[in-house]
Amino acid sequence: MSSTPSGGGSNEPAAVELRGITKRFPGVVANHDIDITVAPGTVHAIVGENGAGKSTLMKTLYGMHRPDEGTIHIRGREVRFHSPSDAIKHGIGMVHQHFMLADNLTVLENVVLGAERRHGIGRKARARIQELSAQYGLGVDPDRLMEDLGVGDRQRVEILKVLYRGAQTIILDEPTAVLVPQEVEELFDNLRVLKREGLTVIFISHKLDEVLSVADEITVIRRGTTVATADPRTTSARQLATLMVGGELPVPELRESTVTDKVVLALSGVTVLSSEGRPVVDDVTLDIREGEIVGIAGVEGNGQSELIEAIMGMRRASSGTITLEERDITEWSTLSIREAGVGYIPEDRHRHGILLESPLWENRILGHQTREPSVNGAWINRSGARADSERIVGEYDVRTPNIDVIADALSGGNQQKFIIGREMSGDPRFLVAAHPTRGVDVGAQSAIWEQLREARAAGLAVLLISADLDELIGMSDTLHVILRGRLVAEADPTSVTPEQLGSAMTGAGLDGSDAHTEGDSGAEGAHRNESEGGA
Amino acid sequence: MTDSGRRTVAAPIVILLAVLMGGLVTVVLDLFLLWWAALIVGVTLAFVLVAVLAPMTPDRGRVGADGTKEEGTPLHNVLVLPMALVLSVVGGLVAGWMLDLSLIEPVAAASGAVIGSLLAFVLFHRLAAMMALSFAAVLTAGVIAIGVTAAVLYFSGIAPLPTFERMLEYGTRPNSLVQIINDSTTYYLAAVAVAIGFKMKLFNIGVDGQYRLAALLAAAVGGYLVLPPVLSQFVVILTAVAVGGLWAGIAGYLKVARGVSEVISTIMLNAIATGITAYLLTEGRLAVEISTNNIGTPPIPESGWVPGIPATFLGSDREVYGLILLSVAVGIGYWIMLNRTRFGFELRATGQSQTAAEASGVNVKKMVFLSMLFSGMVAGLVGLPQLLGNSHYYALDFPTGIGFIGIAIALLGRNHPVGIVFASLFWAFLTQAAGILPFDGIPQEIAVIAQATIVLTVVVVYEVVHRWGRRYQQQQIGRQLGRTTESTPEPAAVSDGGASDGAVTEDTDGTDDKRGGEAQ
Repeated sequence: MSSTPSGGGSNEPAAVELRGITKRFPGVVANHDIDITVAPGTVHAIVGENGAGKSTLMKTLYGMHRPDEGTIHIRGREVRFHSPSDAIKHGIGMVHQHFMLADNLTVLENVVLGAERRHGIGRKARARIQELSAQYGLGVDPDRLMEDLGVGDRQRVEILKVLYRGAQTIILDEPTAVLVPQEVEELFDNLRVLKREGLTVIFISHKLDEVLSVADEITVIRRGTTVATADPRTTSARQLATLMVGGELPVPELRESTVTDKVVLALSGVTVLSSEGRPVVDDVTLDIREGEIVGIAGVEGNGQSELIEAIMGMRRASSGTITLEERDITEWSTLSIREAGVGYIPEDRHRHGILLESPLWENRILGHQTREPSVNGAWINRSGARADSERIVGEYDVRTPNIDVIADALSGGNQQKFIIGREMSGDPRFLVAAHPTRGVDVGAQSAIWEQLREARAAGLAVLLISADLDELIGMSDTLHVILRGRLVAEADPTSVTPEQLGSAMTGAGLDGSDAHTEGDSGAEGAHRNESEGGA
Repeated sequence: MTDSGRRTVAAPIVILLAVLMGGLVTVVLDLFLLWWAALIVGVTLAFVLVAVLAPMTPDRGRVGADGTKEEGTPLHNVLVLPMALVLSVVGGLVAGWMLDLSLIEPVAAASGAVIGSLLAFVLFHRLAAMMALSFAAVLTAGVIAIGVTAAVLYFSGIAPLPTFERMLEYGTRPNSLVQIINDSTTYYLAAVAVAIGFKMKLFNIGVDGQYRLAALLAAAVGGYLVLPPVLSQFVVILTAVAVGGLWAGIAGYLKVARGVSEVISTIMLNAIATGITAYLLTEGRLAVEISTNNIGTPPIPESGWVPGIPATFLGSDREVYGLILLSVAVGIGYWIMLNRTRFGFELRATGQSQTAAEASGVNVKKMVFLSMLFSGMVAGLVGLPQLLGNSHYYALDFPTGIGFIGIAIALLGRNHPVGIVFASLFWAFLTQAAGILPFDGIPQEIAVIAQATIVLTVVVVYEVVHRWGRRYQQQQIGRQLGRTTESTPEPAAVSDGGASDGAVTEDTDGTDDKRGGEAQ
């Protein structure tokens, strides 16, 4: 399944050719037997699940570490990179997912930083930047201050930085992760120009639709190795997904409804202000009932995190009330809220959910440090905490040799299963589940879904926030869309499609026929109508 | 018991055999060799015996403290076993040498061998890889530090070996030992005060100011306020704790309420404390004339002293500070607080990851304030062994700078209650042993060089070894679980499953700052 590159001629040597690349890290083989041929003048996508080894591979190609086995050929010549500067010398450039720019410098200063030898730092450099910007249609003004630029512009500056250093092959690591849809389109236009001008682009992503729309050729990586090369014109997203996970995907779905009419958590007019005084959560009203999973869909950064933090007492709501089983918890501390029976699966488990350097059984205490069986008054109950950790490890299928290993030694999926087991213990009434299956393998994913279903059947009320639309649609009893801090639409999970949800998330509104403003108040409908008119 | 392969030997019997082996060999060899040589051979043989019997010793699925099965791994064979042997021999030697001070030599050697053999059994079966790694790191650091010091000596035209020999000889004299113990009593308190902060990633540089101010005011209370015995000591200690806590509490409050870095504020508070002590320690305020060239607070009456402990067991007629018991109590309290209480758990959790602690309902600001307060309270105790056990007044010549030594010792002892014991003993030993050097025309500062080098090497080597050990542990676990191809976990969105072709924007990646709380 190979494709004909649309750019350069087929008898040219490959821009990049990786043969039999193997990279081992202690305990894991991150890459093995990777074979990729990137034709010059094409956009070559590399797709795979998180943890499949894409980033490791690109770091190898960019000289950030050396492969244990295998060879790299650049334009037909074998090379050995000892550092990224070697890679740059051979015309390989990389745009990292997280920008490496200094906010208080101008575009010009950022671009020449570290490459002063090429064209100095003055007029010649400015001219070169303008020339490159015009040639590749980047539209970058060298004298703007970096902090004034938006995300899309910053990314173009990053690309320009790479071009300025003479790159012929540009690696883009998950470039769309930080962009809004319009910016994604602009980026793709830029990529097409780069291709037309004869450059080669390696595009790393796990978003299949994007890959299909921009790539000339797709390499799929699964469990550290290349499993297939696909032609985007003849491959569907579903086929690619199957290649990526190596088998049928688990499907998130709920069985019969267990929703009761008893409201567990009620948000009423909750507004959270950012440090600049801008509302990041804007007048959110929401009821979550016993046995109900309420999903919230939204592009990341639209107030989901702040909403969770307000519920968990980590951030103060500036107005509105949060009621947990008829008690007003708006002003309560995180500890009291947790003690009242609120479990919390945080979106970033390493930051908020786990002590990486502590053994598992100590992590059992975290967040439960005032409750049985972990503590006994002011004392830590070691045997209690240990016994309950054993229970969690058993019940939630946490793959670990024992409960004395430090949490960092476990894989992400097992850490997550342990966190879920912990948050489900102590008989919670309400659970905040933020991206519960993010970054976990497929097996753990279906286990986590099953646990959520069981807890729901047992009467737990759940607020589910996820970036995975299938998960949201499949797991929610009620589905809301959040945009710029407001709940702008309510969708029926039994009939809504990811496409409709996606368009609502970007402010285009749900398709009238499939969505219902079945909410109890008219306010939500009003929001929705507003947003339909706007951006 | 060597012929039948499957026979098991109960652990107590193995211990008994090992002890007999070690003890008897040592006693016999003692007749021909120096006692320490005999002991080394004895303990080594006991260790070998334990090792030979190990396959027959029933053991409950030996697992290291870090949770990995270790037997048979290369690390275990190359590092853990030799470390266990070295530690047993060293333990036996130290015990023998200590006993030698009060007992006759053959008895001391035999007892040392018995202790060494016991250690051989325990360490052979129970030394965890991570512990062995730590010991190996400290050992390596020690060797490097000695090497650097030797090089400095060599290039200054001084023969290193005789110098070391001289220091060792002088440092192990009975009177030196008492001095070392007394110094380390004080150092220990200072280091624990610093360590409480370190556990929270708080840098209490102000221990120095805290203890000086506390000691001055406590001395004044003891000197002016004549109280019955016991009550007097109690009030003096309480004053010191209160003043130390208050002084550090200011820094804690500033950090919590105003966001002032505790590093800056404690440095400033040190300067202010120096000013206040100088102001108060003048005649007409708190001070009286002590001798012709010295002024200080009025001496505490004898009923308010803390009697020393006669050090005859070390062969010295001097006394060990009675307040060594206070140090021991503080050490035990620190350990219990850290490992057994909710407060200690929250302290460690906050130190490891402030964000995770916050999300778990820990009131981080309260923890910052309280740990600063506790650190200061312990710091307040630092001057007391000297005050109540020796000088009985606070004068111009009261020892200063112990707070800074405490920082070094806390680093050296890795903030561990037991580690700090060894670190302070070692530090005091170097200081004391160097006291002889000026008599030989060798600059005494050689000890300072050694101390500084060892702090640096321990911090660096320990960190390197620790990281390596962690990776190794992950590798072992990965191997055990048969995990092969999962790279380092990235918390990021999972694949969209392919069905959402139209939803271009459905997710964005999580932050990669997943180890936010881990900044070293």
